[in-house]
Amino acid sequence: MSSTGSLNQYIQLIERMYRTSQGNFLARLLSLRDEHVGNRNLRSSDIATLVEGNCVAPLDEIVISHLLCVKSLYMREFMEAFEHQSACVACVVRLLQNQKEVNWGLPVMYTVCLDLRLVAQKAEASCLQSNGKILEKAAESLLACFRVCAADNRSSDADTKRLGMLTLVNQLLKVYFRINKLHLCKPLIRAIDSSPFKDQFPLAQQITYRYFVGRKAMFDSDYRSADDYLSFAFHNCHKQSIKNKRLILTYLVPVKMLLGFMPSIQLLQKYDLMQFWDLVSAVKKGDLRGIDRVMEEHESFFISAGIYLIVEKLKITAYRNLFRKVYLAENSHQIEIASFQAALQLMGHDDVDADETQCIVANLIYDGKIKGYISYQHKKVVVSKQNAFPPLSSLY
Amino acid sequence: MSSYFEFFCQNLACKSTQNADRILGTCYSMCPEDEVKLREAERLVHVLEVWGSERKLVKSYSRSAADSNMAVPHLLRPYSVLVNTVQYLLLDITRRVDVPESVMYDFVNDRLRAVRQDITIQRLHPTQCVDLLEPMIRFYVYYGYVLSGHPLKDYDPVLNKKYLLECLKWYLSCCDIIAKEEGHIDKLSDFFSSLDLNTRGKTKTKLVNDQVLLESLYILCNPDDLHPLYRYLKMAKDLKGQEKLKLSYEIAIANLQGNYVKVCRLSEKLCPLLYCAISTYLPILQRRALNVMCSAYNNKRLTVPSAALVRWLGFSTDRDASTACSHYGLQVNDNMVRFDKTDFKTDARLHIPVIRNIRKKFEVSLIDIFTYETCK
Repeated sequence: MSSTGSLNQYIQLIERMYRTSQGNFLARLLSLRDEHVGNRNLRSSDIATLVEGNCVAPLDEIVISHLLCVKSLYMREFMEAFEHQSACVACVVRLLQNQKEVNWGLPVMYTVCLDLRLVAQKAEASCLQSNGKILEKAAESLLACFRVCAADNRSSDADTKRLGMLTLVNQLLKVYFRINKLHLCKPLIRAIDSSPFKDQFPLAQQITYRYFVGRKAMFDSDYRSADDYLSFAFHNCHKQSIKNKRLILTYLVPVKMLLGFMPSIQLLQKYDLMQFWDLVSAVKKGDLRGIDRVMEEHESFFISAGIYLIVEKLKITAYRNLFRKVYLAENSHQIEIASFQAALQLMGHDDVDADETQCIVANLIYDGKIKGYISYQHKKVVVSKQNAFPPLSSLY
Repeated sequence: MSSYFEFFCQNLACKSTQNADRILGTCYSMCPEDEVKLREAERLVHVLEVWGSERKLVKSYSRSAADSNMAVPHLLRPYSVLVNTVQYLLLDITRRVDVPESVMYDFVNDRLRAVRQDITIQRLHPTQCVDLLEPMIRFYVYYGYVLSGHPLKDYDPVLNKKYLLECLKWYLSCCDIIAKEEGHIDKLSDFFSSLDLNTRGKTKTKLVNDQVLLESLYILCNPDDLHPLYRYLKMAKDLKGQEKLKLSYEIAIANLQGNYVKVCRLSEKLCPLLYCAISTYLPILQRRALNVMCSAYNNKRLTVPSAALVRWLGFSTDRDASTACSHYGLQVNDNMVRFDKTDFKTDARLHIPVIRNIRKKFEVSLIDIFTYETCK
């Protein structure tokens, strides 16, 4: 929309879009990321009185809070801007609630909700003490929208506001991941998974949704479903969205590694994720010292991505690979615990003793990664004659 | 809870007025006059509030109800009184030997809840909250272990854990706020200055605030939870480098990898309270480990001596280990355990091994438990 024109022209345009039910245009007129935001005429000192009486009923409040928010943003008063944007969202919620049997207003809701989150992030950054409280408050506003959409079960399938649920859920997931309140995601995920529109939502939204749900599954140590969700996201993500694909891979690669699939160097090179390459070779070799080195070198990357503990778990895979080498070298079905112990010591676990070695082997047997049993008396591991070390990818 | 949160947010918006509408208690004894009269009249004085001919009442916990106004200054105790109350409860009451420990625990727990209620209503500053919460957490950790063998009617471990986590999370979020307010002030120097204070007032035992210990407790009280570990990873360098915290992290990682031998071995290096925390978790670790061993040592003819289990799983005696094994359905003959996958009872109740005497093990007094500092 143009960045010139008077306030009255702007209001008239909004009213026309409203009357003709043009949700997408209306959304642009109320966006904080549209050209009209740069229009000086919309930033007069007394917006409220100028708009009031000049604009039809449900729209006036929306326009006022929108323009006040714009003004606060220009003055870099992010806290204030957040308050105005929250008010704007609340007005839109009421507007939607009163629009029965139609859903053309959804784009407006998407826009104001997205803007709310962005403004909240700004406010959060400017207010040191808040500690996530502002984003939490934003999430409450988003939830109000969500409830309106979820409750709209009388309209026909084409006109139901329930089609807007996923976009909101994605916004909420973004907030919850940012403030580290993953337990709040659960009811949202349930709502989407039980929705009859599950597969009708726009693909882009589905990808975002699965990216977050996959990450959550990963944190809950549910690697099978994490793999499913993240793989869907990765395969369906547009091939030019390199940044997004890289983000997805940041989680998909360690999950796949845990499940026994190692990434190729070409893939890691293509997406600039070479941090994983050293890790891959160390895990393959069972090089425990190497894993520690990689973890130290890329500590900040692994920690900020939240996958540091997953990498810790990869050590178990490394144990398995190391023991398999010992088994192949010994070429026997009865292997001394001492051989395993020596291998561990050689690879960097200097202080490991027979007891701990047995414990590590015991866990591998329990997980099904080694087929066999330990004999305490003989200090030996007796492995199965067939398939003593089944491929990891066959286990899950 | 959410209304409290809204209130908090409002205060964020108008910070200047924050101090103006804060309620300040004016009750300068451990128990408000009204309650003393009521309880004397209704014969509701607890046996632990009677000291010979004297009576020393402490405000008891009561649930907030819709029709009762709790925010009355003369019913609330200000910070200084709360400090004295906590100190009295933990350092004096816990020494009483004329009542069973579980009764004493119930009493102190109730009075501590009342203290927390006073903190919440008066919305004390985080630095003050921290001072009051820290000793409470020690109390819950210590008695969480000591009472863990008691029957459910005397002591409920789930409730204890709930209070413990409530206090711990509150404490840690206060620490975060303080750290943010301080900005870049070096935490270590701050730490040393607080040490100084304590040595000066050494004539009388005082409660202390030891963040390193508490951060470690957060890790070891929930070894199966990843959140404390992520919290640790994101900590500031100086805090992260503390030996005690590093050790706790290492134990939690070993637990994550199922390495029970390492967990038990490393926990011998812990200080009394951290040892209590991991010991409370020990029964769960033992059950899981025995289940793992059932697969790993699964053999009809071979056995494992109980002595090995004592070494690996922190049992105190061979008999203790054998009892646990038979409890889970395994065959034990002459202190030799036969592991068989099919024998293990996965639905058996958690077996609580014999509780060790912490004070004797570490040669510390009860007062030491509530006041020792890790970095001295």
